[in-house]
Amino acid sequence: MTAPVLTSGELRRQRLALRARGWRDFLHRFGRRREGLVGVAILVLYTILAIAPALFVGPLETAVTATGGRLQPPGTAHILGTDELGRDMLNLTVHGTRISMIIGFLATLVTVSVGVVLGIISGFVGGRTDILLMRITDFFLVLPTFVLALVLTPIIRDVLGGGGEILGIRISLLVIVVAIGITSWASTARIIRSQTLSLRERAFVDRARVIGGGPLHTMWHHILPNVINLIVANAVLVFAGAVLTETALSYLGLGDPFQPSWGQILNAADQAGAPGLGAWWYLVPAGASIVLVVLAFTLVGGALDDVLSPRRTGRR
Amino acid sequence: MEPAPRGSPPAHGATVRSRYFLRQVAQAILTVAFIVLVNFVLFRMMPGSPERILLGRNPNVSAEALQQTKERWGLDKPLIPDQFVSYVVATVQGDLGFSFVYRGKPVTQVLAERVGPTLLLFGLGELIAIFVGLAIGAYSGWRRGGPVDYVGNGISLILYSMPYFLIGMGLLVIFATALGWFPTYGMVTPGATYDSVGEHAADILAHLALPLATVAIGLIGQYSILMRASVIETMNDDYITTARAKGLTGGRILRHHALPNAMLPAVTLIAVNLGYVVAGAITAEKVFNWPGLGTLTVEALEARDFPVLQGVFLLLSISVVAANLVADLIYGVLDPRVRT
Repeated sequence: MTAPVLTSGELRRQRLALRARGWRDFLHRFGRRREGLVGVAILVLYTILAIAPALFVGPLETAVTATGGRLQPPGTAHILGTDELGRDMLNLTVHGTRISMIIGFLATLVTVSVGVVLGIISGFVGGRTDILLMRITDFFLVLPTFVLALVLTPIIRDVLGGGGEILGIRISLLVIVVAIGITSWASTARIIRSQTLSLRERAFVDRARVIGGGPLHTMWHHILPNVINLIVANAVLVFAGAVLTETALSYLGLGDPFQPSWGQILNAADQAGAPGLGAWWYLVPAGASIVLVVLAFTLVGGALDDVLSPRRTGRR
Repeated sequence: MEPAPRGSPPAHGATVRSRYFLRQVAQAILTVAFIVLVNFVLFRMMPGSPERILLGRNPNVSAEALQQTKERWGLDKPLIPDQFVSYVVATVQGDLGFSFVYRGKPVTQVLAERVGPTLLLFGLGELIAIFVGLAIGAYSGWRRGGPVDYVGNGISLILYSMPYFLIGMGLLVIFATALGWFPTYGMVTPGATYDSVGEHAADILAHLALPLATVAIGLIGQYSILMRASVIETMNDDYITTARAKGLTGGRILRHHALPNAMLPAVTLIAVNLGYVVAGAITAEKVFNWPGLGTLTVEALEARDFPVLQGVFLLLSISVVAANLVADLIYGVLDPRVRT
């Protein structure tokens, strides 16, 4: 670099230009990954459904406002059939999208935040802190965390008691978010820690320390921006896992019938004996949605991982 | 895994090996200690008096029973260390309290009755999946980009995105309800009498078929993805190039050079993945009402039978840790490089 002294305005312009180029470069490379684009398309569709379900299918049907007969197969009136209460399956599934996606999103937020904070601290501070944190991480990696979430959820619910809502989401569902968050941050922490370890040895971190940046400043301004790529790629995969975990927990009876997610719909199908009655239409919409969304996240995550991780470039 | 601290002079093979084994065992014991600690915290987090929880929230217990429980778990002494120590001692002795649903039955006994069906289902499922999954994965990795790889990888990805219970529900609707080939739930036909052992076994087998297929199909997707990646990784190694340079045939390179080396990481990953498999196990059992630990868990969840839930958690966690330990030890025997 032969750049002489720059004014702060020039510096900012340069930084913006660099960032714009980075984005263009990223979009260009991601655009060449066909499976990644398919994944994005699926996710966009489901996100739209999740944001405004009522726009497409009206308000969530209840036992009172049900519009059809009992367990009707798909037909002209109900293109996806009805459940045992006569509720329209399309209506239920679209509203389930909202619940499944919100819980998945919040659980991902909690999981990734915990993982990133612990990972950066562990890698940056090192020493005993690192050893202790990584012991705990290893413990959570071996543990069947799903079973822990399964035990944790009813206990937390017992402690908190009753229903109630926060921002339109029932507390029983937020408990699931917390349970998933507590139990699934370990692999994120591992990944972020190893990246932090290598960043810590780089010259710009030394420079920050020499000019008087404290550890918090360095972690926030120098380490975090450099692990963002990794965080994004990891978050997408965590999202897929969170949707699967929520689905399984709800299927086992920890969902909330008042705000049904896809897993809760499948639990209801089981309770109503739908598989034994051959009511396949009760299972297919929610089931297909779960598979599509998880598959989409996996595809996007794989493509992002290839495009963003420096180690992968040039291979494959 | 962290590299072992250096500094000690290079010991000869046996010492290095026993040191590696000792470290693995110590780690496993530490993990189990952690699990017991978590269980203790969970137990004391619950609202309501702990002695009542231990007695399964049974309202009709005598005053002596309450007092006995209090003393057994040191509940009138300070939390740390007395209560914790008592809890650990009771746990080690296999005393996990009493079930709520099965009044008065000790948790350990309830668990013991349900272990058999789960072991049968998952032991067989794992066995089938390991053979089939590794074979498919090895072949598609070997013939990367070929038609088998293309189709196999696609199917594996979809299976990978599918919760076990969905696979199970699909199989149930098609093969039990629509075609009527298999019974829909349970382990035996209710109220059936058998003339011979063979007949009994046949009935169990008919009930086992669909749950077994569910577990195996769910696992095959994961294992073939693991094995495929492992084979591809191995194929880039120098000794494969060397083998090619020596003029060995493709099949010989695969069998004698690539597979043995690709197998190791795949087997470790299978052990690491066990924790997730357990989750699938629980949901798959619920679909078919298979009377194992999974169905027990669901019943315990519905009744808020916390002693049983904690027992399930303890049992499954320790099993997973033990399986991981065994995998690590086998790995140590097979691959001399990790014994540092």
